Amino acid sequence: MSLPEFHSIGKALPRKEDYRLLTGHGCYIDDLEVPGALHACFVRSPHAHARILAFDVKLALAMPGVVAVVTGEDLAQWTTRARMAPPIEGLQPMEMDTLPIDKVRFQGDPVACVIATDRYLAEDAMEQVRVDYEPLPAVTDMWQALDPTAPCVDETLSSNLVSHQHAVHGDPKGRQRDAHRVVERTFAMHRQTHLPIETRGCIAIWDEGRSHLTFHVGTQVPHPYRTTLAGRLRLSESQVTVISQDVGGGFGQKIVLYREELTVAAMARHLKRPIRWREDRLENLLSSSQAREDFCRTRAAVDAQGRLLSLELEILEDFGAYSFYPGNYLARVVAMILTGPYKVQDYSYDVRVVLSNKVGNGPMRAPMAITSWLMEGTLDAVARELELDPLEVRRINMLHAHELPYRMATGEVLADITPRETLEAAVAAIGYQAFRTRQQEARARGVYLGLGICTVVESTTYGSQFYKAAGIAGSGHEAAWLRIEPTGVVNASVGLGATGQGYETSLAHAVAEGLGVSTDRVRIYLGHTDIAPYGMGSRGARGGTAGGGTLYLCAQEAQDKVLSIAGKLLGIAELNALRLRDSRVEQMIDGAWVATTVSLADVARIAYLDPTHLPDGVSPGLEFHKTYDPPPMTYSNSTHVCEIEVDAATGAIHFGRYVVAEDCGTVLSPVVVEGQQHGAIAMGLSGTLFEHVVYDETGQNLSGSLADYLLATADDLPHIEILSMHTPNRATPGGIKGMAEGGVMGAIGALTNAVSDALSCLGVEVNRQPLTPMYLRGLIRQAAHSSTKTAS
Amino acid sequence: MKPAAFAYLRPDSFEAALRQLSEIDGQAKVIAGGQSLGPMLNMRLATPSAIIDLNDLVELALIRDRGDAIEVGAMTRHFQIAESSLIQASCPLLAQAARTIGHYSIRQRGTLGGSLANADPVAQLSLVAVTLQATIEVVSQRGRRDVPATEFFLSAMTTALQPDELIRSVSFPKFEDGEGSSFQLFNRRRGDYAIVAVAATVALAQDRVTGLRLGISGVGPVPVSLASLVMPFVGRGPNIDWIAELARSVRTAVVPQDEAQIPALYRQELAQTLTAKSLLRALERTRA
Amino acid sequence: MSAMDQQMITLTVNGENREVSVAPRKLLVDVLREDCRLTGTHVGCEHGVCGACTVQVDGRPLRACLTYAIQMEGHEVLTIESVAANGKLSPLQQALHEEHGLQCGFCTPGIVMTFEAFLRQNPAPTEDEVREALSGNLCRCTGYQNIVKAILKAATQIRLDSGYVAS
Repeated sequence: MSLPEFHSIGKALPRKEDYRLLTGHGCYIDDLEVPGALHACFVRSPHAHARILAFDVKLALAMPGVVAVVTGEDLAQWTTRARMAPPIEGLQPMEMDTLPIDKVRFQGDPVACVIATDRYLAEDAMEQVRVDYEPLPAVTDMWQALDPTAPCVDETLSSNLVSHQHAVHGDPKGRQRDAHRVVERTFAMHRQTHLPIETRGCIAIWDEGRSHLTFHVGTQVPHPYRTTLAGRLRLSESQVTVISQDVGGGFGQKIVLYREELTVAAMARHLKRPIRWREDRLENLLSSSQAREDFCRTRAAVDAQGRLLSLELEILEDFGAYSFYPGNYLARVVAMILTGPYKVQDYSYDVRVVLSNKVGNGPMRAPMAITSWLMEGTLDAVARELELDPLEVRRINMLHAHELPYRMATGEVLADITPRETLEAAVAAIGYQAFRTRQQEARARGVYLGLGICTVVESTTYGSQFYKAAGIAGSGHEAAWLRIEPTGVVNASVGLGATGQGYETSLAHAVAEGLGVSTDRVRIYLGHTDIAPYGMGSRGARGGTAGGGTLYLCAQEAQDKVLSIAGKLLGIAELNALRLRDSRVEQMIDGAWVATTVSLADVARIAYLDPTHLPDGVSPGLEFHKTYDPPPMTYSNSTHVCEIEVDAATGAIHFGRYVVAEDCGTVLSPVVVEGQQHGAIAMGLSGTLFEHVVYDETGQNLSGSLADYLLATADDLPHIEILSMHTPNRATPGGIKGMAEGGVMGAIGALTNAVSDALSCLGVEVNRQPLTPMYLRGLIRQAAHSSTKTAS
Repeated sequence: MKPAAFAYLRPDSFEAALRQLSEIDGQAKVIAGGQSLGPMLNMRLATPSAIIDLNDLVELALIRDRGDAIEVGAMTRHFQIAESSLIQASCPLLAQAARTIGHYSIRQRGTLGGSLANADPVAQLSLVAVTLQATIEVVSQRGRRDVPATEFFLSAMTTALQPDELIRSVSFPKFEDGEGSSFQLFNRRRGDYAIVAVAATVALAQDRVTGLRLGISGVGPVPVSLASLVMPFVGRGPNIDWIAELARSVRTAVVPQDEAQIPALYRQELAQTLTAKSLLRALERTRA
Repeated sequence: MSAMDQQMITLTVNGENREVSVAPRKLLVDVLREDCRLTGTHVGCEHGVCGACTVQVDGRPLRACLTYAIQMEGHEVLTIESVAANGKLSPLQQALHEEHGLQCGFCTPGIVMTFEAFLRQNPAPTEDEVREALSGNLCRCTGYQNIVKAILKAATQIRLDSGYVAS
């Protein structure tokens, strides 16, 4: 498959966003000046699980600057409850108050809101709010949650098992009976959080005269957010405008309407005064969405060559206390795409999701992050048990190009992917055989080198048909508008919500390509529901295909109209012989494109100011609108190879080379894509090494500051070498695929596999994260003990 | 995450600072670099009625040669210690340790006196002061006294300072000619507080150890000097076995607490590893 | 009037003297943002870890979340708004733009203010020195690689512009 020829898509231009952000002139939530705005601040539960017996807010109300103190009962008058009840088999419906009324469910659960004239005074008053609690036993791990005698996190549910799905494809158990070996492994991934450097925050401005709420918030999904916000305030969508300007990172944390935000909106309306809230970092770590925390088991039946005969997967996930998303939302995708680039049709999965007294989970960049580690870690285990080369085990099981499109056991169809190409490119670049030699030599010196391979098939885009098939409510379509202004400059918009990805740049490439102008003529407007069309926003690596694809199609329609007008001006009826390029109409003459006298500005002038010159049947103006529902899924693929050394004395990991070969199809902006690759890999490595939300057995969060929740710094990460490949997706506009989450998946798998590879000579392997030096040192110590015992 | 209200005092001299400190009587907090106190105030873990700011007392930011010791003023910033050619030449361990504190920006602001008075169990400069048996000059309106660093740290975050006392300076004994040193720490990320840190100095004559100082932190509530432990190792030839034996005895000697995330055994192993590393490096520097 | 109440102070910010009324407890970063309306300095953690609020005081980087504005009387505070005051990006800003050294941009002003100072002190840093210095600024988007690349590029450019000769 060759790449179509583009004139704008794929050009490496620096970003349009940068100037304002580099000079301190960005506009994040807290930068907006709103005269007279009051400040909100939340009283939070010190208990993981407790009944709320009584509030005493008298002292707080008497404090200087305090305007109001409200609790869940107050808010229940002004807002509706949230209900999460999509018709999914095995999923228990859940409801949630705006602020909890009867009981709190995690440490940090907001129970009251103080509104004061400034944040300092609001915090003074917050300390004076008295809440009487009756502490209850807490559920703090997933096995405890499953115990029938465990406390109930949500008493309206029959158990803490909020979601359970199970499927059997083929006869995996039967294949186990015929197998040479059944290799079983467990994989534990710890709880993490998104940690955008800009925390959450919002400003609510109620216009009493117009009965209208303007709500500033950093969100990935402006329109769906507005629909929810309006509904819960019992307002119509016409009464709410959501505005999201510069956003300091989202990574999945800024999708849902949070209870604090709804409270601020309700209070602004109730008090008829603007109110602002900026979450501080302690609140962010204590009560913003968290993610991951899975315990998985795979069982691979293999023949003597390591060929997969069948695979079984069990997932148990700790979902936290509240259902901000359906309980099956995260883990089920792992089960659906687990087998990735490997051939196996006899496959079963069992996915159980439980509630606990922790922050409610949500999607975090690569909600299916554990997938590739599960699959590739299983193959490594097969190789170790059968004493085969792990690279050969991958080769023997991997799909060939001629087997595509390939229908996975779960029904998902893989097409236009190149896992063999990325695998071979990455291992060649790293020098796989030479590494094995070095590894042997190093072991002789007591130095533990390891190499990890992880091939990723990354599910991206998520069209409406996927949601339907997966039993998840929602649509995967996107919407765009484009307007060529009378002078020929171009404004355009989609329903995505930017959180730092560089959409103003990458989407300008899509528009410039489809229309035939240069990117500097294009300006992209995002994040304002009065301006942007109703699209589904940013999540699931859909920005490129859904956002860029819709704009590209919209821009192509715009070009068609421009050319039809130009055709009349030039007296040319054969419109196929015309094209727009760099804002100039060109004509095909003797096989070559030649500039004509007509420019886009000429056409625009007529369309707006002299419409009587338009061709028959062509309407005035140059405004376009398009909606587009992408394919159920587009798949990108990559192979990550990571070299490390484990310091046997301390358990510390030192990076050697890190190579990734990635094929994410047509790339709108290679600059933006490279940035996404770096960022995703960094997030995967940081999570695998350091980041850990820790709750103790009573449900106290022990990772409540950045001195405890450790993010990788510039000093901790390797230099990443990227090999880029571009196999277009044949079902999408321009061949675009999604990307930006696979890096997380690959990094987790490659690093963890590398550590197991390094320690394999000691007879130990890692089966949980994070890979702390204490954990690795413990494994090495244990290996030394058992070898001493064996020897004696 | 905003501090509770406090009054602000900026004394124009060290004497004025002492006077204010005694007048406010225990409810005031002294702010030096503020790199540890700032977070405590912002989280309202500390709620003093007043803050006495020493940052503009330039007379407390000095590094001078006192003959047999280097005197370093309490308000000397970490970067000044790390970059001082006098310290690098006469008390290199101090400069080596200062370079490992926090991050670049933190070192621009954090101070020697602030660090010692804060008494974090694994603070670098506390460990150096204890290892080198530095003398801490402590002053109040009642007078001045010299406190040996080994008696200064009473417990985690607790020192021998009385509520009305301030550190004016710290005197670090100068190194012998050719004496080598090394500061080794282990942490999860560079810039984090150490899990365990070891400071070592070695002096040699005719390839025999004539001087040996060793200190360790991260194995108890305060940094400790291992002066008596190292005594039998003085006078011997410092070969690989000597290093290994000494490192093993350090491991055996320390009794850290077990914690959920960090088992005591792990700290003991680090004590051994870092001791060996610091001795090796100090010896290299001796011979260089 | 209590000593905890608002008082008038004079701050020198970006070369300009400003009279502001502040409570002693008000963080420098809040006074810069709210009272001086210089919102380029960002609040990321308020406990001195993330580095987003880094400004320069008397030419050296400082966490504006660990400093109270009242402490700054008599000192020169520089914020991100001073760096390209004439509309032209500094070599460091330009390199960050060319090398895609920023994504969401929230940590960027702190990084610029840290390294404008760092490169003055160390005009020819190694990659390791840059990474060590950068470890005090957290970034969630970029993985740091392009920031490091940009800082090294800026260092080269600054050396060329100033006729720097290695000592």
